[in-house]
Amino acid sequence: MNLKKYLVRALHRLQKGPGYTYKELLVWYCDNTNTHGPKRIIKEGPKKKLIWFFLTLLFASLVFWQWGILINTYLSYNVTSSLSIGFKTMKFPAVTVCNANPFKYSEVKHLLEELDRLLEAALERILQPTPGNGSENVSPPLNLQLWNQIPLVLIDEHNKDHPIILDIFETNQTAEGNRTAAGNETEEKKYKLAVKLCSHQGSANCTYRNFTSAAQAVTEWYILQSTSILSKVPLHEKIRMGYQAEDMILACLYGAEPCNYKNFTQIYHPDHGNCYIFNWGMDEEALNSSNPGAEFGLKLILDISQQDYIPYLSSAAGARLMLHQQKSFPFLKDQGIYAMAGTETSIGVLVDELERMGYPYSDCTMNGSDVPVKNLYSQYNTSYSIQACLRSCFQNHMVEICGCGHYMFPLPEGVNYCNNEDNPGWAYCYSSLRSSIKQRQICIDSCKETCNDTQYKMTISMADWPSEASEDWIFHILSYERDMSTNVTLDRNGIIKLNIYFQEYNYRTISESAATTIVWLLSSLGGQFGFWMGGSVLCLIEFGEIIIDSLWITIINMISWCKGLKQRRARARYPDTPPTVSELVEAHTNLGFQHDGALPRDQALPPEPGTPPPNYDSLRVQPLDILSPDSDAE
Amino acid sequence: PGVTMSHCLPCRYSAMKEYLSELDKETKKALETFYGFSDGKSKVRRSVDKWNSTGGDFFQQIPLLKVEDFSRTATDLHSGQKRKIEGSVFHKDSSIVNSGDSNDIIGFQLCDANNSSECALYTFSSGVNAIQEWYKLHYMNIMAQIPLETKEKLSYSADDLLLTCFFDGLSCDKRHFTRFHHPLHGNCYTFNSGENGTILSTSTGGSEYGLQVVLYIDEADYNPFLVTSTGAKIIVHDQNEYPFIEDIGTEIETAAATSIGMHFTRSRKLSKPYSDCTETGADIPVENLYNKSYSLQICLHSCFQKAMVDSCGCAQYAQPLPAGAEYCNYKKNPNWMYCYYRLHEKFVKEQLGCQQICKDACSFKEWALTTSIAQWPSTVSEDWMLRVLSWDKGQKLNKKLNKTDLANLMVFYKDLNERFISENPANTLVILLSNFGGQLGLWMSCSVVCVIEIVEVFFIDSLSIVMRRQWQKAKKWWNDRKGAGSGKPPQASPVERQGHDNPICIDEDLPTFNTALRLPLPQDSPLPRTPPPNYSTLRLETAFTEQLPDTLELSQH
Repeated sequence: MNLKKYLVRALHRLQKGPGYTYKELLVWYCDNTNTHGPKRIIKEGPKKKLIWFFLTLLFASLVFWQWGILINTYLSYNVTSSLSIGFKTMKFPAVTVCNANPFKYSEVKHLLEELDRLLEAALERILQPTPGNGSENVSPPLNLQLWNQIPLVLIDEHNKDHPIILDIFETNQTAEGNRTAAGNETEEKKYKLAVKLCSHQGSANCTYRNFTSAAQAVTEWYILQSTSILSKVPLHEKIRMGYQAEDMILACLYGAEPCNYKNFTQIYHPDHGNCYIFNWGMDEEALNSSNPGAEFGLKLILDISQQDYIPYLSSAAGARLMLHQQKSFPFLKDQGIYAMAGTETSIGVLVDELERMGYPYSDCTMNGSDVPVKNLYSQYNTSYSIQACLRSCFQNHMVEICGCGHYMFPLPEGVNYCNNEDNPGWAYCYSSLRSSIKQRQICIDSCKETCNDTQYKMTISMADWPSEASEDWIFHILSYERDMSTNVTLDRNGIIKLNIYFQEYNYRTISESAATTIVWLLSSLGGQFGFWMGGSVLCLIEFGEIIIDSLWITIINMISWCKGLKQRRARARYPDTPPTVSELVEAHTNLGFQHDGALPRDQALPPEPGTPPPNYDSLRVQPLDILSPDSDAE
Repeated sequence: PGVTMSHCLPCRYSAMKEYLSELDKETKKALETFYGFSDGKSKVRRSVDKWNSTGGDFFQQIPLLKVEDFSRTATDLHSGQKRKIEGSVFHKDSSIVNSGDSNDIIGFQLCDANNSSECALYTFSSGVNAIQEWYKLHYMNIMAQIPLETKEKLSYSADDLLLTCFFDGLSCDKRHFTRFHHPLHGNCYTFNSGENGTILSTSTGGSEYGLQVVLYIDEADYNPFLVTSTGAKIIVHDQNEYPFIEDIGTEIETAAATSIGMHFTRSRKLSKPYSDCTETGADIPVENLYNKSYSLQICLHSCFQKAMVDSCGCAQYAQPLPAGAEYCNYKKNPNWMYCYYRLHEKFVKEQLGCQQICKDACSFKEWALTTSIAQWPSTVSEDWMLRVLSWDKGQKLNKKLNKTDLANLMVFYKDLNERFISENPANTLVILLSNFGGQLGLWMSCSVVCVIEIVEVFFIDSLSIVMRRQWQKAKKWWNDRKGAGSGKPPQASPVERQGHDNPICIDEDLPTFNTALRLPLPQDSPLPRTPPPNYSTLRLETAFTEQLPDTLELSQH
């Protein structure tokens, strides 16, 4: 019912037309607004009117310009960082220690034996290319199946445009070998070693991975081959083949409390075999450290037994260690550091805590749940990190494209690691995927950083350990404790001492806060508007009202004009336009004019048909205007 | 992000021998006379002993002296005679050493060539420092006379230095390295200098994706007096920064794998008026002698070099040449060393004004390095590694490589997080104005318009009133005088009245109150016109009766 009434009234309004003109509306607005400028425009004499008009215009444009700056500042979502430095009781970081070498050579020898023999023979051929020198004493026949899957080739670059590719174990090698020797004597080395990667065995779709250095080529080739072999070994077997905690961690002291290898959590890391994490915080509470200085830190003595290294796999010897947050996965290749054998390495720790604001201030994620990459490291119960995301992303791509997972990264469900038998083209696939910039970019774009981040700044210093004078008794005691034997089974090449402790000022917190808030924005906007024009939100509403009113006038005028056009067409015979009635009603009903008692209704009346009132009106008003002050004064 | 690094080694000693043999012989002689040291089975002294014939040229230039402090006499090495020292004695480390009890302080004397009585004696607490410093001076003298091309040829080439190179999973070679010649360190090689237009970038952190190189460092080829430590030096810097290798280089050990994890920080300061820093260095009155972007270090070195050229007439060897100058050597400028030492001392004591002229750069990049060392090659892999690397090196090298000749270096980003520290102004003009506005509005509900109104009323308007009064008074006074002169009585009152309230006089100039108040007046007076109410009501009603059923019908439809 109400709606109907409302509609009827609206229709009437439409038919009656507006009760006032634009000019009247504007004058009324200027007279009644709370903004400071416009009132002066209408109430001053003509000269000042002009000045005030321009002043108001200037101020209004200043306000809009400054508003633009302020809103722009707000929308850039700047942050301010505050930094605090000091000392407090802190959680001691989780410490991961690994051997640089993943497996004991004595344990994996049966798996890698053929590969090693092959490589030795190949090296023999490369290094002594003259026939009949080295090849005779290779008595057991070589298993060339491994070789044929991923061969190493020699590229002869004497002729730049037509490099000759020589397979090292080809039968016609002898003739080539002679030439090689001759070439080497006369001029500089022009041979390069390369790894030949084919998408299928025997297919023509092959690439050669070039290396400037033979050492690099051999290492890469060996890594490819050994991953293929080791990927078939089940996990528990791999753990058995690696270094055991009781062999590796000889002594441990945290603050004044003794600890031993049982305090370490074992984790299998594909790069480094068995790794041991102190204070990971998975099962028990994380340890706190309330004192700075080496006396109150963690002291470890490790044995890396360098004699048992796999000779071709890792050429650097030492322990790999890393400090990281509790419940996070250690990415040793990224953030790990080496500790050298036969030295004491002291690591002073300074903790950098970063607290970032999330969206829209910066693009970071709280726990990784909003990242479109399946985190494969969640199977270790570890928290999200950008490294985990990048690696998971790569592994997912690898599974998608190559059909099998890479040995260095965790597996998604239902997928196997790549090996030469099941996936003959995996090395080709992997190397093309790894060098593809597109794939990397996709991963970088989809992975986000974590909002709360902890970085450990390390000050590393080293000294020789044990000293010559103390060497004897230290080795004696440690050997006895480990093996219960009186023979010294340790030497300088395997033993490492580590001190990890907090520095004097142990934390540095960098936290972000929004530089501009909505409150700041509003108060600045209000300040600007108030400063130039004395305005407020109410003034804006007034202005909006005026705009609506003028729109309303326009609509009504349009409708009446259309109607007039129709009527004129209909009653073409009448020369005059009929008087519009609706305008008269408007004069009564329009609220805008109601309160203004000074304005009589009849003034708003439309001109009578036929008589031209405007002239008449203006004629009468103007003399009165000038005369009236006169009469007042007298 | 691109990374640049330089591996620096001094010039090849064996190639430099012909230039330095004289100097070495004299140095050895000095060692023998002072310390009784002689290396009988010397591998360095290969040429026949004939130092008597050459006559100790170097000691005449700068005599090495053994000083007996208390008596202030010195033993001249060459002539063996004792003599009194005139002039001032400078201890190189005067603040630390207590020289009273040791009677064998060694040093060298520098004299002003024009005025031989003005000498300065530089003493050192240890002969090691003295001999090195003394050697360096002569070395610079000799090197300054050799043209740059010869020196570059004599130094290590990239092929000699690099055994393997691996970047971001791909093999790299000497083409990725750019040579630049450092005056004291010889040839240095910059990886990824961006000189051929492309800057390599890495998109993943971690050691596999960084730069891995094996360097060949021939220990036997080192100059025994100039450089006493083995290894290489590395510096990580931006492509358009000059590598000050002797100032901020990191040492690399041989027979070890050095892994350097980097963390990148970029900082930007606000320039004037917030802080006193320079954006491009263009506003600093020191010419940039280096062909690289501005830094404080560059400015200080250039400033010193300029002062050197101004006061000594030649340029110091360790820094680039300004236009129109040439390097000092004692054939042409016998005076330069004395001059240099004097100037250097002034520079260190901040008397040259360089520290005042040079400003910080507003933006700078910084790489925080975490260096750790592992043994390399491991005992079990040593054998094959050395064999293969020897093969790599090729037949040119006749001997088998030793592991102390090699250094393995890995440089990589720990993570690709970039830390960016920038300054923002705490207050801008916009914020100042809006705070003004906020306060004015809060306490007075006032704006600039108010202020203008106040100015208008209290200054312009009241001034105009006063002026008008004065004008009227003057007019009156004039009229009075005129009237007195003509004998007519003044008719003052109507004129005065008119001054205030005459509507013609007022017109627009005094509008604020009157006109504003009188504006609605004309509306108040009823206009004589036809009485419309009746007329309109009549029409109105008809309008309603006419229209209402229509609309109702319409809405019913």
